[in-house]
Amino acid sequence: MKRTLTLTAVALAMAVSGGAFAQERADTVIFDLDRTIKDPENFNWFTSGTKRQHGAHQSMWEPLFILNYTTGELDPWLATGIESNDDFTEWTLAIREGVTWSDGETFDADDVVFTANLALNNEDLSQREAANLRSQVASVEKMGDLSVKFVLKSANPRFATENFGVRIFGSFLIMPEHVWAGEDPATFAFFPPIGTGPYTFTSASTNRAIWDRNDDWWGAQSGFQELPEPQRLIWLETGGEESRAQLIASNQIDAATNVTVGTLEAIRAQNPNVTAWHEDYPYAWPDPCARQLEINTTVAPWTDPNLRRAVAHIIDRSQIVNVAYEGTTVASESMFVQYGSMGAYIDAIKEAGYGLPAKGDAAAGQALIEAAGYAKGDNGYYAKDGETLSVSIHVNSASTEYTRTIDVVVEQLNRAGIEAKAVPVENGVFWGEVLPFGSFEMSYSWLSCGSVNEPWTSMARYTTDSVVPVGERSPGFNNTSRWDSEAAATYTELVASMANLAADDPKLPELVAEAYAHLDAEVPFIPLVQAAKLLPFNNTYWTGWPTAENAYNHPAFWWNSGHQIIHNLTKAQ
Amino acid sequence: MSTSATQEPQLTKAQQRKMRRFDNPWLNPKLLWGAAILIGIMALGLIGRLLWDTELVFTGSGPLKLPPIGFENLRGQSGITDHPLGTDGAGRDVLSLLIVGAPNSLYVGLLASLIGMSLGIFLGFSAGFVRGRVDDVIRVLSDVMITIPPLLILVVFQSAYGDVNLTMMAVLIAAFVWQSPTRLIRAQVMSMRESGYVQMARLSGASTFHIMFKEMLPNLIPYLFGSFIANVTTSIVTAVGLEVLGLGPQRVPTLGRTIYEAINAGALIQNLWWWWGIPTLFLALMFIALLLINIGLDEVSNPRLRKL
Repeated sequence: MKRTLTLTAVALAMAVSGGAFAQERADTVIFDLDRTIKDPENFNWFTSGTKRQHGAHQSMWEPLFILNYTTGELDPWLATGIESNDDFTEWTLAIREGVTWSDGETFDADDVVFTANLALNNEDLSQREAANLRSQVASVEKMGDLSVKFVLKSANPRFATENFGVRIFGSFLIMPEHVWAGEDPATFAFFPPIGTGPYTFTSASTNRAIWDRNDDWWGAQSGFQELPEPQRLIWLETGGEESRAQLIASNQIDAATNVTVGTLEAIRAQNPNVTAWHEDYPYAWPDPCARQLEINTTVAPWTDPNLRRAVAHIIDRSQIVNVAYEGTTVASESMFVQYGSMGAYIDAIKEAGYGLPAKGDAAAGQALIEAAGYAKGDNGYYAKDGETLSVSIHVNSASTEYTRTIDVVVEQLNRAGIEAKAVPVENGVFWGEVLPFGSFEMSYSWLSCGSVNEPWTSMARYTTDSVVPVGERSPGFNNTSRWDSEAAATYTELVASMANLAADDPKLPELVAEAYAHLDAEVPFIPLVQAAKLLPFNNTYWTGWPTAENAYNHPAFWWNSGHQIIHNLTKAQ
Repeated sequence: MSTSATQEPQLTKAQQRKMRRFDNPWLNPKLLWGAAILIGIMALGLIGRLLWDTELVFTGSGPLKLPPIGFENLRGQSGITDHPLGTDGAGRDVLSLLIVGAPNSLYVGLLASLIGMSLGIFLGFSAGFVRGRVDDVIRVLSDVMITIPPLLILVVFQSAYGDVNLTMMAVLIAAFVWQSPTRLIRAQVMSMRESGYVQMARLSGASTFHIMFKEMLPNLIPYLFGSFIANVTTSIVTAVGLEVLGLGPQRVPTLGRTIYEAINAGALIQNLWWWWGIPTLFLALMFIALLLINIGLDEVSNPRLRKL
């Protein structure tokens, strides 16, 4: 009898909580998170770890501007505008009036100056956005309550987009002075966090973060934007592609990170409400971070540029496109993303003869290996002085896209006579330990990512001033190849001469080709394919997701620009 | 004949046939069936290598996601004779995955078990026969080790170490399968060491080594076999467990890794059942075969288990 009672009570409790959840589900947006939140009670975004993409910078911390990929313009957000002087050495930022932190304090020039100075004065703040600002800005000055002047170390026509525009993934986020003042910015945990955004932090654990709407948000009161419709946002770690797919097919999440095209087709067969960037094949959105093979140029035998070139010859990009991407992307022709705005530079590189072929040429690669003194042994692998030519390729195990691309590359190298093997590592280890400290021979990522409408940003990531010894952290993941030869020095000079040219300067394509000659000769990294992100969005509870037809911006919902997506969502009827 | 006084029990023909089988306990049907399945799997590996192109086992050697002959995939493609059991999401031929992968899984199991058993036999005999300090140390060590879940340690080790080859994996697993045989053999040896023939051997001045391995070991053979097969099963389960978590060898195909990749690439939702189903079926067959052998061996060493 007692047992029956308990059972009834449990069933009743489940029914009640289930009912409550079902009611809330329609007001909640659940986003997929492709990683574990290692330290859920740390919101110091200046240091490495999952501190931002679990909702913090899509719902709580707002950027100053958001680069609109469709129009190419900066959409103002916390700022209203930014102006430079004639030679791009001084920039004056105008801050929006009426912005407040969620605790009621005013957001003003003091916060901006304070946060910029944190980054300028602390070498320990390692995140790319902080390192970037530190390398560019000489001083920052408050001009008025809503006006801040940045004095740069050298001219930079791209300063605003690069630092405050969410060009790729993040932007320099302003922190509240009244909370951070007096804390050590390298160790401060900033918990509980506050921001200016329409959502406030509710709770987080290693596999989820929950944010609830702040109905007193400044933007709704000042008329900047209406309150977003979702009352609650959840970021949920879903695990692999299979579970991600099952969850979105059964309406348990609303937006999923990258899946393969076969999986998307299967999801759509089960749940026709799921859409992607394009209505039809290839469905995918071209992500601005073209994929490449990073090479650590300090590890023998890959110190020899000819061997690196051999690998570049052997790799067959079209097979990567067909096998790893199932035809949803194209082979890279250069290091750059193949957007229309980059066309002039890619053409200049191709005209100069440095364009990359889609097909591999194993024979040319093998000739280079043999010229370096290697001979093929009975086991089919090249060897010199008893040492087999081998390579370990570190790959982030978080996505099938990554591991399968490297499976293909490993296969191609093995067939050509290089004993290659893949070393899959967990996402946090990959970005936290392997890549920045150079503890790899080769690895798969997208570290020349940056340029979207001008060539300098990507090219400047391989200059010699970013070279640090293996074991030290590469500043902002720049030049993790540690490419530091004579050619690299010449390359660095050429890239420096490009730095203060505006994107429409007619000399720029020519300079790009000249600098690219050194990349082509020494191969500090090997561009592979363009990135394609296939992001399933579920229209069952929420509509208004970004698509090619409704391109208010790109669909990368884990970026700082996710604010725009959340503001555009409306309840499905 | 039928009026004979010393009559045999009235048995049907079938029962008589079964009776005759007891003449040789090693020929019991469970043992035979189990061995036949295992030999079949090994034969597939050996003969398959001669008849089928095992290079097809590598990424990108065929079209993606083709179904077995006679089936259609979600895209409406039907199976072709070039890939009779279909291909996986990276263009690997499923038949060659079986030809190469199934013997690999068996190999890990057999090698790990062999190493584990050898260790177990040596330690068990030493502990049971020598007694004293040696016994104390070995007993405590095996008792402690038996409480440690092997998969947990191996997961940590392999994720830290990265890529391992099959032999290395077998050696690692072997470090966790010696405890039960050690305890089992120790117990048997302790009861045997007081028996007449051992006493006799000792009196006649035989060395400890001789007594342990020449006099006592042969009597333990059925036990050891049973224990060995049980260990093979445990080792394969452990190896497959690691592989299914993606922690096994990377480029060498194994059944567990195939299942891992299938799950990771969304094979369930895409209804690519041949990708995960066929390796799973093979693993199931392997375990059934090992179980049959184990039961069969039990009947060999324990006649009371033999049924009509």
